Order: sequence, then C-alpha cells, then structure tokens
Amino acid sequence: MRVPLFKTVYDAVYYGFAVGKVRVLETRIFGGGTYERLVDAPTFAEQKRILSDTVYGRYLENAENADDVEVGLETALDDFYRFLAEANLPEPVVRFFRVRYDYANLRAVLKARALGAPIEGMIVGLGIVPVTAFEGPVERLPEYLAQVAASLLDEDGRIAEVDAIDAAVEQAAFADLVETARSSKSRALKDLARLMVDVANARAAIRARRKNRPASDLAEGLLKGGTLRIREVEKIYTLPFAEFVDALAAMPTLRGVDADALADPSALDVVLDNMISHFLRQARAVQFGPEPVIAYVMAREAEVTAVRTLLIGRLAGLDRDALRSRLRELYV
Amino acid sequence: MKDLFWGMAGADWALLGGGIAAILGGIGSAIGITAASSAIAGIVSEDGEKFGKLLPLAAMPGTQGIYGFIAAVLVLIFFNLLSGEINIPAAIGFKIFLACMPVSFLCLVSAIYQGLTAAAAAGIVARRSEDSGKALIFPALVETYAVLALIVTILMLTVLQTALTKM
Repeated sequence: MRVPLFKTVYDAVYYGFAVGKVRVLETRIFGGGTYERLVDAPTFAEQKRILSDTVYGRYLENAENADDVEVGLETALDDFYRFLAEANLPEPVVRFFRVRYDYANLRAVLKARALGAPIEGMIVGLGIVPVTAFEGPVERLPEYLAQVAASLLDEDGRIAEVDAIDAAVEQAAFADLVETARSSKSRALKDLARLMVDVANARAAIRARRKNRPASDLAEGLLKGGTLRIREVEKIYTLPFAEFVDALAAMPTLRGVDADALADPSALDVVLDNMISHFLRQARAVQFGPEPVIAYVMAREAEVTAVRTLLIGRLAGLDRDALRSRLRELYV
Repeated sequence: MKDLFWGMAGADWALLGGGIAAILGGIGSAIGITAASSAIAGIVSEDGEKFGKLLPLAAMPGTQGIYGFIAAVLVLIFFNLLSGEINIPAAIGFKIFLACMPVSFLCLVSAIYQGLTAAAAAGIVARRSEDSGKALIFPALVETYAVLALIVTILMLTVLQTALTKM
C-alpha cells in the first residue's frame, strides 16, 4: 500500500535541499524585461554589459565573437547540468538531460563522415561521452551510440544513406529518453519524455501531411513512447490537410491546442513548444519532488537558447525586429 | 488480588499513555523539522541573509514535541507518579492512557504536515524576503490543532485527577 504522506515526506526530505536552492535560483531566471533590454541593446558590447550582472557575466566577460559566445554558454549550461548531480537527483535524471547531446554529437560525426567533412567545432561537451571519444571510430563509442551508427553503415563501413541519419538518430535518442525516464522512477520525467515524443510526433505528422508525403513514410518516422496513438494518426492522415489538423487537435494529447495555429507553418513550432512550457509551469508549482529542479534546469536551457539567439543575432547584424521575431516563449 | 485492566496495572497504563505522548510528539517534530530544514538549508545555501527569517519556520514543528512532553509531565505530576506512592486503579489508569491519545496522534500528524507547510512557505521567503511574516501564518494555522489537542488532553487529565482525589 502506498501512503501519500510517506511519499510526500520522502520527497520533501530527499529533494528538499535542491528545491530550496531552486526557489532562490529561479528568481534569477530572466523575465521578459531582460530579453527586451537585450533586444534593444544597440551593440554586442552593450548586451555583454547587461549580462555582466547576471549568472552569464563570468562566462561571457571575454567573449568577442560567436565562437566565444558558444563556448561561454556551453560552459554555463554544463554548470546547470552539474547542479542536477549536486542536487542529489537520481542518475537517470542527470542522464536524461545529458544523453541528448551524445546523440547530437553522433549525428554530427555521422554526417561529417558521410560528407567527408572535418568534425572540428561540431562536437559539444555537454553529453555523457567525452568529446575525445567522438574523434575516434564510431564503432568504439559506447554501445548505445555504436548500435545506431552500425545500423547506418554498409558492409564497407560507409554510410549508405545520408538522409537516413537524422531519422535513425532521432528514433534512437527518443527511445533512450523514454527508457531513461522510465528507469528514473520519476513520474514528472516520464510525463516529460512522453510529452516530448508527442510534440515531435505531432510536428512530424503535420509537416508530412502538408508535404503530402505517403502514409507509409509517416508510420516509419513516428516515435514510440508517447500518448499520441500512431494508428489513429494514420487513420486520419488521408483527410484533407485542414480536416487532418482539426482531427489531430481534437485528440486527447493535443486537447486545448489551437487547430489554426497547428495549421500555420509559422506558428506550429511556437504552439508545440508552448505545450512543454505549460508542462514546466505546472512542474514549478509542485512543492516536493524532483519536478521544480527539472523545470528549473529546462528553463535555464531555454534561457541559454534565447541568450545565444540574441547575442549571435546581434553579432551577425540582425536588427531588433528580426531578433524579437526569433524569440519565442522560451522561458517559463 | 492485583487490580488489572487488560493485564496491566493503573500506573502501567498511565505511564504508557504519557510515554506515547512524548514519543509520538517527538517523532512528529523530528520529521517535521527535517522536512522544513531540508528546503530551508537549500535556500540559505544560496542566500545566507534569509537565515533569520527562515529559522522560525524550521523551529515551528518542534512545538508538537514540547506538547507531548508537557502531557507526559502532567501525567507524572497529576497522578503523583514521581513520589513513588502509586495508587491508581486500573480503570482510571486506562482512562489516563486514553486521555493522552489526542495529543499523541494529533502532534505526530500535525508536526509532519506543519513541516511540509513550513517547507512550502519557505519558498515564499526565497522569492520575497519582505513576505516572511505572511509565510509564518500558514504553518501557524496547522499549529492550532496541536494546541487544541493539548488542551483536550489537559482537561481530560484534570477531570481524571479530580475523580481520583474523590475516590
């Protein structure tokens, strides 16, 4: 028998210290005002001055170009992930956040190999596998990555289909995320993994339908582990696009999502990303457990993405309107 | 023939009641303080200046342990157990045991919930130091029921002491 009070007390004691830290740290997450100041800053130097009083100040104080910004923000993100381990969260929770970068690195390595391009500057050091491991043969990578690579290599060790890399790596990455979330025994992480799969599937299905791709392609591309029923999506796939989107929006997984926004190519990503933002807002409101810590780290991820967009955009000479249009509802 | 109630003498029942009150109140307070302190320690590790405002929240669940202790001491004093001249009929002893139950269980449960409420209220102070007064109110509301249980136990013990005096 599971007594709710026991679990609540366990969570309050086990995660209490981390949640207490997060309650202070989340007050330092950027609000709309900071983003507005960064958008309005006329120069990169002014943006750096605005950030100097924030957690990013020390990571960016010597940044002069886009590469420096990437390195600085990567270090900042690495420290946020390190907080997960320091916060006494179970190992699978830490793996959930870091393993995605291993798959991103694998994708970069496989594409570089297929195209004969160098991998310098393409590997990020935020994963579980050290950067140096990606410089060697893919066969020597940890098994979970080597298997994906092996599925793409022909008998001569060459990559038969470059176009298949993205799909194969994405399938493996999401399967790993779902399995890692399951092994974490954290309900919040399991829900998050399911939601991420649903968002990816909804995005893939709408894009495929808009391009009139055959249903057989869709079935191969959809990810397992979500709540969106793949067979039901296949059933409605033959409907005209507008009706397909309406039927998809009426499914329980996407209930509450505006069908018109799903049908609008410029609004699709925003409306689907907002589903994750909404989940994180709910997670923040949980008092005891890993949810507030997970929500905090994801909010920091979104913040790093937004800061990178604004800094590199300004370095590239984008104007205010262009920068503003690239900012989404990234922070929670 | 020895006066027994369910195999135990009056003094045994009285001591068991007082002991349970002290034990359960203490357990509840220890758990409550741990739950509140875990969150508060995390906040203080990031913002040490809030320690003074958070300390009352950590200390609040400790009162239930004190209430249990008070109930146990009252049992010892009211029924002259400290003197060594123990003369409590078994039926009265059992009633003393029953009289200790409200404070025992209410303090166990309310201290745990008060600790959880204090941990949640600490989040208010983490965001806005100036709201520390408001944050104290929520766990204080939980305290009410522990106080009421102590009052009930004291009244019952008083009635039993009077009854014993008249015998």
